[in-house]
Amino acid sequence: MNKLTIDEIKLLTEKSYKCRKNILKMMRFGEAHIGGAFSSLDIITVLYNKVLRHDPKNPKWEDRDRFVLSAGHKCMALYTTLADQGYFEEEVLWTYNTFDTRVPMHPDEKVLPGIEFPTGSLGHGLPVGQGMAHVGKLDRKNYRVFVMLGDGESAEGSVWEAVMSASHFGLDNLIVIVDRNGLQVNGRTEQIMNSNPLEEKYKAFGWETKTINGHNFEEIYETLSSVPFKAGKPSAIIANTIKCKGLTFAEDKYEFHHWHFKTSEIDDALNKVEESCREELCKLG
Amino acid sequence: MDNLNLKKNNKNNKDNLNNENKMVENNLKNKIIEENEIYDDARKILADALLDLGNKYNNVVYISMDSSAGASGTSFKQAFPQRHFEFGIAEQNAIGEAAGMAISGKIPVIAAYVPFATYRPFEQIRDDLCKTRLNVIIIGNNSGFSVSALGPTHTVLEEVGILRALPNMTIICPADGVEYKQVLEVALKVKSPTYIRVSRIKAKRIFKDEHKLVFGKADVVKEGSDISIVATGTMVSRSLEAAFELEKNGISAEVISMSTIKPLDEEAIIKSAGKTGKVVTVEEHSIYNGLGSAVAEVLVQNFPVKMKFIGVPDEYAPVGTYEELIDYYSLTGQKITSQVLDFYKSL
Repeated sequence: MNKLTIDEIKLLTEKSYKCRKNILKMMRFGEAHIGGAFSSLDIITVLYNKVLRHDPKNPKWEDRDRFVLSAGHKCMALYTTLADQGYFEEEVLWTYNTFDTRVPMHPDEKVLPGIEFPTGSLGHGLPVGQGMAHVGKLDRKNYRVFVMLGDGESAEGSVWEAVMSASHFGLDNLIVIVDRNGLQVNGRTEQIMNSNPLEEKYKAFGWETKTINGHNFEEIYETLSSVPFKAGKPSAIIANTIKCKGLTFAEDKYEFHHWHFKTSEIDDALNKVEESCREELCKLG
Repeated sequence: MDNLNLKKNNKNNKDNLNNENKMVENNLKNKIIEENEIYDDARKILADALLDLGNKYNNVVYISMDSSAGASGTSFKQAFPQRHFEFGIAEQNAIGEAAGMAISGKIPVIAAYVPFATYRPFEQIRDDLCKTRLNVIIIGNNSGFSVSALGPTHTVLEEVGILRALPNMTIICPADGVEYKQVLEVALKVKSPTYIRVSRIKAKRIFKDEHKLVFGKADVVKEGSDISIVATGTMVSRSLEAAFELEKNGISAEVISMSTIKPLDEEAIIKSAGKTGKVVTVEEHSIYNGLGSAVAEVLVQNFPVKMKFIGVPDEYAPVGTYEELIDYYSLTGQKITSQVLDFYKSL
């Protein structure tokens, strides 16, 4: 079993909070889908720092693992992580919400290295990721395809078409991570359209599954490092997360799915996030 | 193009054009078959062409949605079982998968009934194929009234309209077997998503074997000076039939085969309209947003002339056999003749 050292956990904590702060700085340029970006950030941090086989200097390396962010509105988590990894200069982040920016509110593979596929409309990423996984098998490549979905997104019929198909083909190089923060634009997912129980649904469709705490770095790392959970089967990870994790006053509130901070509120938010980071590091000793 | 200059140019060059016409007529004799009674099964031709494509390009993959048996895929899937993907009755997933494969270096050819290949996964076509400009070929089988006995769910008469609105989408509607034989390779080289409109009804041979289907280029299949008939797909042979009938009435009709509907050969349309001053479009498709609309968009901006749209009105077609429906919507050679004649006389 792969284990992280305390120092590695501290580093991952610092990195994920650095990205949260960068997201807030980007929001000086306007509104953003902050809630899902913050809930997914710990998972994305572990993926890029510890799990994915990738090369920021060679983003199109043909043997790389692919990460498709199906819930494209969470892209600020991805942008800030890619910048941290060195895919592009951090200055690109400060063009957010400006004309013809390379970091728009939904990602575009044509303008930014590291983006595998443009997403935005929900329910598209898993079929696309699965197409990549098929090519991996066909060409006898060892790369894996990780697709991140939202739990609100899981109401899309196309998601379940793809879930059925992946197990039919036994694609064990395909991994789904559901960022299950329990909230969507207009309220609690359970009330808008209940996608629970997600793990049982994936199991019933023939996937191997695990449910984890999507903010526990050890758990995230151990789980992502052990895919495929079973040879010949696709793997699904239901990651329980907190919307807007790390910004205490906004945590678990659907109103912060998408938010436009007043400039004066940004500094306060940055302080709150810094506080959360310190607390988490203190807990680690 | 400046309208005034075009008109002036046209007038001044009338003699030259007439000489040119004679030359083209001679060329046309080499282009069009004289014994026009050969009928081709598009699906059989496409099956062979797909197999050839698979042999020639090892990155071509074939995607079906429980549609392979009736959609030209049998030979390919027997020859290349690993490169055939059956995604079942789940079209949104199938188009998304095609996008994932295309961005990973494959060239997917997808074949299914028109509504399932285009309408159900429309947003996937827009976002995943067109916005990304991926080299994916969609074969829309059983177009127009091909399966009109199945009713309006399967008789789709509007898909050219919705698809041509998408940036990066290209649309080819072959006119006969000679073009069907070439269309897959032509589409593959476009390097943009391509929709191929395929009729189930045997296609009357128009072109000689030497004919080359050129992407984005119209073919003048009959020269004329009084009126232009722009037709696509199944309607090219019927329009030719009408044009020969019109000759007997003393009307010289030019017939243009518009196999590429998008991008449209604007130059050919403007040139013909400049010569005849009257344009009729004929299509086995709604007159809303189809070939007629596309031709009108070109003419109204470049060389406005009187037009008539021959096609299907804004309604869902009744149930019937192919020929019953063609007759019901006045798309037989004879009924096209009388519609063109009425239009000509009304001017």
